[in-house]
Amino acid sequence: MTFGHGDPFSPATLLSFFFKYDCATCDLTAPLVERLHRALAPAGLRVVGVSQDAAVETAAFVDKHGLSFVVVLDTDLEVSAKFGFDAVPALVLARSNRRVLCSFEGFVKQDLLELTRLAAATCGAVTPELVRDENQLPECRPGCGSKVHDPDVTRRLVGRLGTAELGARRVRVQAGDDPFEFMAAQGLDDGLPVVPPTEVRVLQMLEGTTRAAAEVVAHVPPNLAPATVEKIAVNAVMAGCRPEYLPVVLAATEAACTDAFNLHGVLATTYFSAPVIIVNGPVRHEIGLNCGGNLFGQGFRANATIGRALQLLVRNVGGGRPGGVDMSTLGQPGKFTCCVGENEEESCWEPFHVERGFDRDTSTVTLFAGEAPRAIRDQVSRTARSLGASMGLCLESMAHPKLHRMSEALLVVSPEHARTFARDGYSKTDLRARIQDVTARPLRTLLPDDACKEGMTLAAVPKALLDPDGRLTSAALDTRVPKFRHDDDILIMVGGGTAGKFSAVLGGWASGAAGSTAVTVEVR
Amino acid sequence: MSDSLVILDPTNERTPIGRRLATRSDRLGGTLGIIDISKPRSDIFCDEVERLLRDLVPGLDIVRLRKPTFTKPAPADLRDEVEARCQAVIQALAD
Repeated sequence: MTFGHGDPFSPATLLSFFFKYDCATCDLTAPLVERLHRALAPAGLRVVGVSQDAAVETAAFVDKHGLSFVVVLDTDLEVSAKFGFDAVPALVLARSNRRVLCSFEGFVKQDLLELTRLAAATCGAVTPELVRDENQLPECRPGCGSKVHDPDVTRRLVGRLGTAELGARRVRVQAGDDPFEFMAAQGLDDGLPVVPPTEVRVLQMLEGTTRAAAEVVAHVPPNLAPATVEKIAVNAVMAGCRPEYLPVVLAATEAACTDAFNLHGVLATTYFSAPVIIVNGPVRHEIGLNCGGNLFGQGFRANATIGRALQLLVRNVGGGRPGGVDMSTLGQPGKFTCCVGENEEESCWEPFHVERGFDRDTSTVTLFAGEAPRAIRDQVSRTARSLGASMGLCLESMAHPKLHRMSEALLVVSPEHARTFARDGYSKTDLRARIQDVTARPLRTLLPDDACKEGMTLAAVPKALLDPDGRLTSAALDTRVPKFRHDDDILIMVGGGTAGKFSAVLGGWASGAAGSTAVTVEVR
Repeated sequence: MSDSLVILDPTNERTPIGRRLATRSDRLGGTLGIIDISKPRSDIFCDEVERLLRDLVPGLDIVRLRKPTFTKPAPADLRDEVEARCQAVIQALAD
């Protein structure tokens, strides 16, 4: 049995196992961690147990399970507080303290198996078998509360971690008041309950970045109020983010508050637009961001909370609220949250952010003002040309079939469809050209007429089709005009699960300098 | 819920600034600005407003102004121009 107080958190690949001796789910997990240690220690995996108990209880736990890996005492809970989880057992697989490959709390069989696979892959070893029959393991068991949240411990930690650096106004929720109801009554939520941003939680969140708490990241529309790292962290806590998500939230804030993205307009418009966050690069896997199945759906904490954090920030710091500056007629569910990762691993093309000028190993966030995703169904096409035509025909209905040259679009190509393009060597340029070709219609069919008064205005007609007095030339009416002003207005990413010949398009808003243009920034 | 709980304020902590409305004139005079916010067909709407006002108040000095885009707040130079030239202003929407 080895106890230590040094710094065991420095090897290349580290698995940290946080536990309490009186936790039944920790009892379930400990033997499995021990097997993982025995299997992968020779390949270089370092397993460290982190006990939240004193030496006597910790020794009993180690004896009970025959643990042979190093166990350290975290009786002052500073390490636990910095990792920021709410329950034990907690498993964190990391390349270093700041680069988390995989983490989860409680017992979740699928997460444990995935962690085992990742740990083995990182060490270049074969994935070990933790039990003879995986069916013996329960699917899921809740953990016990981390001691960090014991009230007396919270007070001690606040003193030790230094709340002096936190500049936000303190608000006291009186004894007997439910903090969730209190925050809702103050109008600080988005219609769903928010996590109370206590000092400890905000300090834990700030551990996710090296940037100073007081640094102003952006001025948030519509009130152009300064958003410090700390204010963003407060809203990220409320949204339910983990500390390792914070750099992505910071980058999303930077991108959203640029003049090119025009968050003021995106918010104020009566249209459907919401900030859609697209994440690329290594950070996707480091924070467990979903890039696969159910991409725009529920069930993934990083996706759900990063988008929500940005929306809460716009509400609470920027002052943008429905019925106020947010004048959307119908809104859309993505205005709660919309954050997705590109499925770069299943893509037939270079990643979205590489196309936009970044290195593959750089993590980025792209903000796009988008509608809700709508289906592109093509289960029959076996050639890129046919599939490209399907996509074009579906994109033509964006906003209105007669409204061309209005906005950007985000085309989300599913892995199965990507494979069709890959087979035919179809580039993104080819796909864009195909979409432009199949959507091109004679201008006369796009202008307002008696059958349908909606249609292209002269302001949207290509200048080449107007005479010096701004009237249509004689040849203009028969000239075919494609859906998009520029080929590059069709943004293309790959995303979603590996089964299903379904892609999606998210229509944009007004594009160009008068509207909103997609913006990409690096995650730092 | 027996202990009180301290949370950090997630807002911008700005105390709303009370703004007093400008004094309303009981009659139109001087220079009136009509701001077209650049929505489609807003020029048609503003033309009609101008025509009606010229009929109602002969001799009224009317200037037409235009925001570069309806998607963004009026730029500072336009706000300055309104302040310098106009005694009253109508900001006109369309659609």
